[in-house]
Amino acid sequence: MSETIVGGKVGVLGGGAFGWGLADAAARAGREVLLWSRRPQREATAAITVTQDLAALASAELIFVAVPSPYVAEVAGSLGEHLDGQHFLVHVSRGVVGEQLATLTTVLRRQTPCRRIGALGGPLVAAALSAGAPGGAVIGTRFPEVRAAVRAAIGGPSLRIYSTDDVLGVELGATLAGLLSLALGFGMGMGMGAATLAVMATRGLGEATRIGVSLGARAETFQGLAGIGDLLAAFADDGRPEVAVGKALAGGASRAAVSELAGAYVEGVTVARWIAGYIERTGISAPLLRMIAGALEGQIRGDEVVERLMAREVGDE
Amino acid sequence: MLAAPMSMLSRLIPSRPLRMPQIFSPRVSPDDPRIFTFNNERDQIIDEVVARAVEQHSRDPRRLLYLLNDAANLEVRRLSSQRDAEAELSLADWQKLLRRLGKMSDDDRREALRQRVRVMARDIAGNFDVRVFRTTRRLVPGVLTAIMDPSALPHEALRAGWPRLDALATVEGPVAKLQALAKIGTLVLVPTHSSNLDSIALGYLVDREGLPPVVYGAGKNLFSNPIVSFFMHNLGAYRIDRRIGARLYKDVLKTYSCLMIERGYHSLFFPGGTRSRSGMVESRVKLGLAGTAIEAFARNLTRGVRRPVYIVPTTINYALVLEAETLIEDWLKGAGQARYIIEDDEFSRYERVLAFAKKLPALRSAAVVRFADPIDPFGNEVDEAGRSLAPGGRVIDPASYVSRGGVPSVDAARDAGYTRELGEALPGRYARETVIMWTQLVAHVLYRRLVVESPGIDLFGRQRRRGEVMMPRAELIAEVEEARDRLLSLELAGQVRLGPVLRAESAESAVTLALEAWRGYHTRPIATAHGDEVVIEDPNLLLFYQNRLVGFAEALARPETLAASREIAALEGRR
Repeated sequence: MSETIVGGKVGVLGGGAFGWGLADAAARAGREVLLWSRRPQREATAAITVTQDLAALASAELIFVAVPSPYVAEVAGSLGEHLDGQHFLVHVSRGVVGEQLATLTTVLRRQTPCRRIGALGGPLVAAALSAGAPGGAVIGTRFPEVRAAVRAAIGGPSLRIYSTDDVLGVELGATLAGLLSLALGFGMGMGMGAATLAVMATRGLGEATRIGVSLGARAETFQGLAGIGDLLAAFADDGRPEVAVGKALAGGASRAAVSELAGAYVEGVTVARWIAGYIERTGISAPLLRMIAGALEGQIRGDEVVERLMAREVGDE
Repeated sequence: MLAAPMSMLSRLIPSRPLRMPQIFSPRVSPDDPRIFTFNNERDQIIDEVVARAVEQHSRDPRRLLYLLNDAANLEVRRLSSQRDAEAELSLADWQKLLRRLGKMSDDDRREALRQRVRVMARDIAGNFDVRVFRTTRRLVPGVLTAIMDPSALPHEALRAGWPRLDALATVEGPVAKLQALAKIGTLVLVPTHSSNLDSIALGYLVDREGLPPVVYGAGKNLFSNPIVSFFMHNLGAYRIDRRIGARLYKDVLKTYSCLMIERGYHSLFFPGGTRSRSGMVESRVKLGLAGTAIEAFARNLTRGVRRPVYIVPTTINYALVLEAETLIEDWLKGAGQARYIIEDDEFSRYERVLAFAKKLPALRSAAVVRFADPIDPFGNEVDEAGRSLAPGGRVIDPASYVSRGGVPSVDAARDAGYTRELGEALPGRYARETVIMWTQLVAHVLYRRLVVESPGIDLFGRQRRRGEVMMPRAELIAEVEEARDRLLSLELAGQVRLGPVLRAESAESAVTLALEAWRGYHTRPIATAHGDEVVIEDPNLLLFYQNRLVGFAEALARPETLAASREIAALEGRR
């Protein structure tokens, strides 16, 4: 009963590259899409209706939340005024909010009456979604009907959607893999070799897993698409903005220039700071993530990062 | 004097429900709570439990075989080692089922299921006698004493001053709202759990505050005292036998509790499952049977019955906990050796209960029960009229959570999701509605000093330091005062509550009262005053009482105790 597929409209909140990627994927799956954007940047298509009216989204059962994490609380709060317990919300954010590292499902739960919610993670990039390039993702939700609805909305022969009930794991995986993607981009920009990048990715994933587990996520989630899968795609330079930001930082770009370039990854700098604060408070060993935060804040110079990374003591893995 | 006949009685009727003969049926008015007519429905409810179980499990013959096999195996194992009256009665039966199960037809298996479920449901089902209820209500608190120690009546009880019981226990929270909601829908109380006295005290206070009686599941071991058993039975308690591990039994229990909520019986569940061993407020709850509230709500909707369910997070806060010594000892043994069922604690020893009862009147405020604002099963706030409110205060329909396209349905997987969500929403509410008692705050300040004085020692090493660490009384008072002031500002920010003594008394008198409270009941003194010094005598009990404050340790830290306070805060992860 839980897996019944209900057709009807798919809602998308946010008209950035990711919002459009999801809209295109849903349109390709034969669904009618309603995309909300404050300042629409693309024209509507036959299957995708663009609206500036939040209330209109209430006609969709499933709504993807694709606005950058700092704006989710505000936009979701306004959207929530038109929703009730029947709506499903699924976010695709790579961010957390605040010192306590509140994930976006927490924000959605607080700001809207919706409870059937989830997070979509894994190696997803907007351009590939739009183009229909083969790929996969993972939906974290406690509700089987949300899982089914996401599969019915964007899944298909070219997009395999796995699922887990470890929502927190997917969210923290996406967030920390985002930061690590940035570190990888940085490494690439610094001309690091494949072996150095691999060490960075592997150690970084270990750090991410420790942080995730300390917050209540399951370690195995980080071994899946939401963690290692996501990192492998970054390693292959799948065109995600995080890698681009990393490369720019390595090239000595100023913070202002970087945030200009980041665009889709505006959360990076603040999220890194919060994560660094959490590492500090809890004493979890995560030197790489701390360094990324330092570099993003402009406290550590690019060349220093490499030096420090390689100078670290070596011990058991 | 009564002890001999009492124990004879216990042997004769180990845990059978004792009921009053129905000669005159009691008068019940339409305004009376649902439970007043429970006995008329009892058989119907049992029938319904059986019907549902059969319906649910006969759809899949393989699963049915698995369930029966699991139940038969576990029951044979349990009953063979139990070797009591119950074993005599049903062991052979289970053994026979186990032998024949493989050869039985599907129909025979269904029949076997029907029979077993009926036996289980009968054993679980409670009873409610209006006459007992009305009598109890008049005789409380005398009856409470009787429950605790029949031989103590009447002279001991009077000397101990039981009539002051009323002043000893305070109730806080939106009582009027709860009274109103009880008429609109079904209340599901989900309190913190620290003592076997919880259900008895709560039952009494619920009645005192003009709230309807609640039904609740009590461990079968609590029914072993015939007097306790008599009252529990006739006041609506149903029996949970924690020794039965069979999946089938758990299903029957869930069906029973779901059905009670569905039919509008106000219910009580301890979502922590068992008494808090550490003394901490529950920070993780699984909800267990309380999760059936969601199913009950959905089932009613599918039949066109719109009966709201209101979840009432509740904290029960004691200045002294009857079973503190056993509980903390069990916690310190660690997860591996801790016992899920404790049968030999203070609650089952009359002399401990009496010592506790004698100590109570000497306390200014022994217990505070605090009801939080009720929520719907999906975590939404509820207004005075019982309507669910979205975050902005807009009225929303709780039915939408169990519906798709406007059609409500029963869906176990979905409801498991909601149950987890609710389980995560509760600890935050518990923390905010925890009422800090003076004994706990004084214990915290003293324990913090113990940690400061024993840096880098592991928990167990520290717990052995009996009588070694002391704190000048003046410093203790000053730090209690400072901590109390911090708590007051946390209270203003809505993060915690302060009990009546901490609110009304000076820090100095809080310290004096705490030292007094700790003397006399517990078999070992917790801390004693020697001249100008206060000596920590029992770090274990001190830990138990201070554990109520672990969540606030960092907020109460002084610069020089920061490391110690963080170490205390980290205890929360050890549970």
